[in-house]
Amino acid sequence: MRGASQAKWVVAAVAVALAATACGSGGSSGSSNGAANAQGTFSYQSTEPQNPLQPANAMEVGGGRIIKTLFKGLVDYDPSNGELRNQVADKIETTDAQNYTVTLKSGWTFHDGTPVTAKSFVDAWNWSANTKNNQINSDWFSDIQGYKDVHPEEGDPTAATMSGLKVVDDTHFTIALNGPVSYFEYKLGYTAFSPLPEVFFTDPAKYGQSPIGNGPYKFVSWEHNKAVTVAAYDKYAGVDKPKNGGIVFKNYSQAEGAYKDLVSDNLDVLDQVDPSDLASYKTDLGDRAVDQAQGAIQSISFSLYADDWKPENLAKVRQGLSMAIDRDTITKTVLNGSRQPANSWVAPGAMGYKDNTCGDACKYDPAKAKQLVTEGGGVPGNKITVLYNADGGHKEWVDAVCNSIRQATGVECVGDPKPDFKSSRDLIKNKKVDGLMRTGWVQDYPLNANYLRDVFGTGAAANDAGYSSPEFDKLAAEADKATSVKETADLYQKAEEQLAKDMPAIPLWYYKTTAGYSKNVQNVKYDSFGDPVFTQVEVKQK
Amino acid sequence: MPDLITKNAPAGDGETPAERVVVPEPQAEKPRSLGLDAWHDLRKRPVFIISAVLIVLLVLFAIAPGLFTSVDPRAGDLSKHYLSKPNYLHFFQGDWFGYDGQGRSIYARMIYGARASVVVGICVTAGVTIVGGLLGMVAGYYGGWVDTIVSRFTDMVFGIPLLLGALVILNAFSVRTIWSVVFALVVLGWTQMTRVMRGSVITVKQSDYVTAAKALGAGTGRIMFKHILPNAIAPVIVVATIALGGYIAAEATLSFLGIGLQDPTISWGIDINSAQKVIRQAPFVLFFPAGMLSVTVLAFIMLGDAVRDALDPKLR
Repeated sequence: MRGASQAKWVVAAVAVALAATACGSGGSSGSSNGAANAQGTFSYQSTEPQNPLQPANAMEVGGGRIIKTLFKGLVDYDPSNGELRNQVADKIETTDAQNYTVTLKSGWTFHDGTPVTAKSFVDAWNWSANTKNNQINSDWFSDIQGYKDVHPEEGDPTAATMSGLKVVDDTHFTIALNGPVSYFEYKLGYTAFSPLPEVFFTDPAKYGQSPIGNGPYKFVSWEHNKAVTVAAYDKYAGVDKPKNGGIVFKNYSQAEGAYKDLVSDNLDVLDQVDPSDLASYKTDLGDRAVDQAQGAIQSISFSLYADDWKPENLAKVRQGLSMAIDRDTITKTVLNGSRQPANSWVAPGAMGYKDNTCGDACKYDPAKAKQLVTEGGGVPGNKITVLYNADGGHKEWVDAVCNSIRQATGVECVGDPKPDFKSSRDLIKNKKVDGLMRTGWVQDYPLNANYLRDVFGTGAAANDAGYSSPEFDKLAAEADKATSVKETADLYQKAEEQLAKDMPAIPLWYYKTTAGYSKNVQNVKYDSFGDPVFTQVEVKQK
Repeated sequence: MPDLITKNAPAGDGETPAERVVVPEPQAEKPRSLGLDAWHDLRKRPVFIISAVLIVLLVLFAIAPGLFTSVDPRAGDLSKHYLSKPNYLHFFQGDWFGYDGQGRSIYARMIYGARASVVVGICVTAGVTIVGGLLGMVAGYYGGWVDTIVSRFTDMVFGIPLLLGALVILNAFSVRTIWSVVFALVVLGWTQMTRVMRGSVITVKQSDYVTAAKALGAGTGRIMFKHILPNAIAPVIVVATIALGGYIAAEATLSFLGIGLQDPTISWGIDINSAQKVIRQAPFVLFFPAGMLSVTVLAFIMLGDAVRDALDPKLR
C-alpha cells in the first residue's frame, strides 16, 4: 500500500490541493428534476490514462476512474455511506480473519459474454501480483500467502501463482493470508482485485487498449489524448445498474477550459472546479454546484524522531500548538470554504469515523494554547518551521497557520517551502525533517483503520512523524484481530483516543469535493473518493 | 568607487562655486573635475531631482520603517481583516491600503518591503562594480593572454541566463536570506561591468598622460588607480546606476517565483506573488506592492539616465 497511497497522494496533492479558493458553504444536488433518458450519454472531465487499461495498473485518477466503471470486484463501497456491499461475491466467510472462503453469485458475465468464475479472480490476481507483469498496484496483494514467491523484493519470481489462492469450483475459492487482517474484505473493494476474462491472458497489452470487463459499463473506444467512451452494459448483474446510456471521458489539459465548457453545457459533469473559478462557481452554477466532504485529511506532523522533538513531555506543547490554530477562520477565509475544519484523525464518510475525538485540543483557544506550551517547557528554540511543497497551493494556509501560532503563543513560526512534491516527500520519507511538516492522507478504502494504522502504527509506511506508541500499537493489534469489520472499526476508535493524548500530528481539516454539473444531467452525487457516482447520473429528456 | 565621484566630491566642493558666484575669478583658476561638472549639470535637471527625492524616501523606509508605521507587518488577524478594503483617508494608518489575504496591513508591508529591495539593489550594484570593474581593468590594462582568458570567461558567464542561473544557485541554499540573493545576482551580474570597464580602460590606456606617467616611472598600481581608473570609471557608473533598478526588479522576480527571499523577510516580490491569487476578489492587494516596485525601479533608472547625460554629454 506504500506505493499506492503515496502515488495517489501525488495526484490528490495536485488535483485536490489546487482547490485553494471557493466561498460559502452549503449543500449539493437537488436541481429541478425532469424525465430521464435511460439511453442518454453524458460527458465527464477526465485526463489521459497513464497506462494501458488493466485493472491493477491504474493508480492515477485518469485511468482509475475508467477502470472503476469497466470492472466490478467481489465487493464495493456504497457511495452514500462507505459501507461495504457485495457485488460479484455472494458471501465472504471467515472465522479467523486469515482464511477466507468466497462464494460467487451466478449470472455475472464479462462484456464478451463469458461467465465470471472463481478462476477469473484467481488468475487475475496471480497475474497482477507477478513481478514480471510490472503492475503498479501489485503490492495490494501482499497480504496473500505466497506473494513473496511471485513478487520477490528483487530477482525473478520463484512461482507463477500465490499459494494462498485456491479455486474450489466455478463459484468458490479460498484466500489464505499471511496473518489476520480483519478488514481484508474492505481492501477487496479496490479495483486491483477485479476479475479478468480468458481473453486477457492471450495478449494483455492489446487488451489494455480495448479492455473487456464485467462492470456496469463496457468499453467502446479510446481516442488517445481526446476521449474514452464507454456504454452501459445491458447484462450487468450488479446492484448499481446504470441509469444512463454511457459516459464519454473527455480529456482536458486545462481545468479552466473544462469549467467553461461546463458553464456552456458542452461538458456534463466536472471533476474539480479550477482554483480561479472557485470564488464564483456557486453563483455560476446555482444548485448544480457540488460541495461535499471527501475522504482525505490535511494535517501537520511533528518530527518525533528528531532530537528536538523526542522528549516525551512535549505532548503538552504539541497540544498547545494545535489549540493555537484557528481552523474555522482559516478555512473560511484563506481556503475560501473549500475545506472543513477537522476535529478527529479520520475523515467523515469513512466507516468508524467518530466526531470530535481530538476534543479540546482541536478547538481554537489562544490563552490555553500559550499556557500549555509554557507548561510543556516551550518549543525547542522557540522557533518552528513547517515544511511543505510549494507546488500544491499550500503556501497560503501554511502562512496562515504560522501566523495563528505566532500570535497565540509567541512562538516564531515560518513556512519552509520545498520546490515540488517529490523533494518535500523525499525529505519526509527519509526522516530528515527537523520540526513540523505538512502531511495528509487520502483514503485507500473508507475505513478508519486506513487512517490510523497505516499512518500512526509503528513502522507504517506513511508514518511520517515516526510516531511509536506501545499503547496505540497494542490497541491497533487488538483491532486487527477482531473478526468483523464493525468490531475492528470500533476498536480502532479506542486507538484513536491515544492520538489525542500524544498528538503526533495536528489534524487541520478535511478535503471537500468542489465540482458541478450541466443542465443536461441530474442526480449527480459524489462519493467519498471525490468521484461522481457514474451509474446514478440521469440524462434529461430533450 | 561611484560614491567618490557622485556623492563625496560634490558634498565637499559643490557648495563653493554656488556661493561665490559673484566673484568667479579665483574659481576659474581651479579646473572643474568630471564629477563636479556632472553635479552642476545634474542639479538643474528635474528628472534628477524627482528621482533623488524618491530614492531618499526609499532609503529612509529601508533604514527606519518604524518612522512611517507603527503596525507590525507580520501580524495578521484573519477573522477581522481578511482582504478588507483600503481606507484611503486613514493616512499612515494600518488600514490605509487595506489588508492582504493573511489579514496583514498592506501599508506596513509596503514600507517594510523597501529594505529588502534597497539593500539588494545597492549591495548587488556595489558587488558587481567591484568584481566586474577590477576584472575589466585587469583585462583592459594588461591585454594579451590575460585579456583573452578574462574575456572568454566573461563570455561564458554572460551566456548563463539570469533566471536559470539564479534558480540553480539559490536552490543550493536551504535558508535563503537577502545575502544569498545578493550573492546569486553578483555571481551572474558582474559580466556587464567587466565588458564596459575593459572597453573604457583600453581607450584611456592609450592617452598621452598614461604614456607620460609610464615614462616617469610610475608603478603599475599607481597608473591603474590614479590615472586610468578615475578617467575610465564614468561609463561603469552610468551602467551600474541604470542596472541598480534592474537588480531590484530581479530580486522581486526571484521572490515572486518563490526562489528568492523567504518568510519572514518581507519583500514586494513575495507580496505580489500572494496577491496574484486573490486578484479577482481584491485587486488592491496587488496594486500597492507592484506599484511601489515600479516606482522604485523607475526612480533608479531615471537617476541612471540623468547621470549618464551628465557624465557623458556626447550621448545627449
